[in-house]
Amino acid sequence: MAKKNIDTAPIQKILKKNKREIKLGLKVCAHCSLCAESCFLYQATKDPKYMPSYKFINSIGRLYRKNGKLSRGEMTKIRDIVWHDCVLCSRCYCPFGINIPSLIALARQACRTQDLYREYDKEPTEG
Amino acid sequence: MIKAKPKPLDEILEYIQPYENILIVGCGGCVSVCLAGGQKEVNILITELEFALRDTQSNKQFKGYTVERQCNEAFLTEIDEFAEETDCMLSMACGAGIQLLAERYPHIPVFPAVNTIAIGVDRDIGLYEERCRACGECVLAYTAGICPVTRCAKGLFNGPCGGTQGDKCEISPEIPCAWCEIYERLKAQNRLEDILKIRKPMEWRDQIQRKFVQKGYEKRYLKED
Repeated sequence: MAKKNIDTAPIQKILKKNKREIKLGLKVCAHCSLCAESCFLYQATKDPKYMPSYKFINSIGRLYRKNGKLSRGEMTKIRDIVWHDCVLCSRCYCPFGINIPSLIALARQACRTQDLYREYDKEPTEG
Repeated sequence: MIKAKPKPLDEILEYIQPYENILIVGCGGCVSVCLAGGQKEVNILITELEFALRDTQSNKQFKGYTVERQCNEAFLTEIDEFAEETDCMLSMACGAGIQLLAERYPHIPVFPAVNTIAIGVDRDIGLYEERCRACGECVLAYTAGICPVTRCAKGLFNGPCGGTQGDKCEISPEIPCAWCEIYERLKAQNRLEDILKIRKPMEWRDQIQRKFVQKGYEKRYLKED
């Protein structure tokens, strides 16, 4: 895929439309790590990068804090978090009620606006 | 995972013939993995449709949008903002996803852009084999992990038919007879008695639309008498 600059407008549109949900999620997350136990990838590896809170904070959270102004390299890192480190099984659980799958889905939406998504013909699936 | 194939372009063109504003909805789930209906395939379909209509007086406008999963209504809400200006939708999800999309927008015609083929395995990138038809009564325990419903052309439950040619199926010399494979594998595992037991016939009559509640969730979904 040809390297393109990031078009922030569609990302900002997503951030604006879902501002309340994103802001609340970031504010309410107490970093208690209780969500970790509900992620089967974390359970299998105990690698903190699979903690659901880590995934949403470093994807949509990062986009929100930077108002969508990230480089393509940074967006690619977000793509890797929300596709490679999360299958969006939507089983993650937050005791404070943060809808983590919904926030990760927003990050995927933002990536898709930049033609960044998992390409299964180039990156075969592990499962 | 579910495997699907794109429909022939002529068939899709026939569906959308009366409509101008067409939304092509991709799915980020199984159909992305099997390269049939993800964001990339949505973009390809738009290009193919525009190319096919280039010399006509068509005013058709195509818009593509990919949701993470069409079989979960929570992900369909993203499409709401486009629904008003959409005359019809082409769904690139599996049969389940297409139906949920059509259910959410009952006033908008929804057409399939893929044929859902099977529950299958990935042999390689772009190469898939059917392994399961979701019959609901799994018999793999006594058929050595080889499904007679899927891999026997007649879906037989009680051994090979009279058409078996050596260890091949009568429909093609390249297709192995499922029951010969079952026999050989059970024999190798010293488990031939597994196919000698008399078992109840399959309840095919229950093969109407199935709905089920997972164990542990009964209180949430089932009404008490």
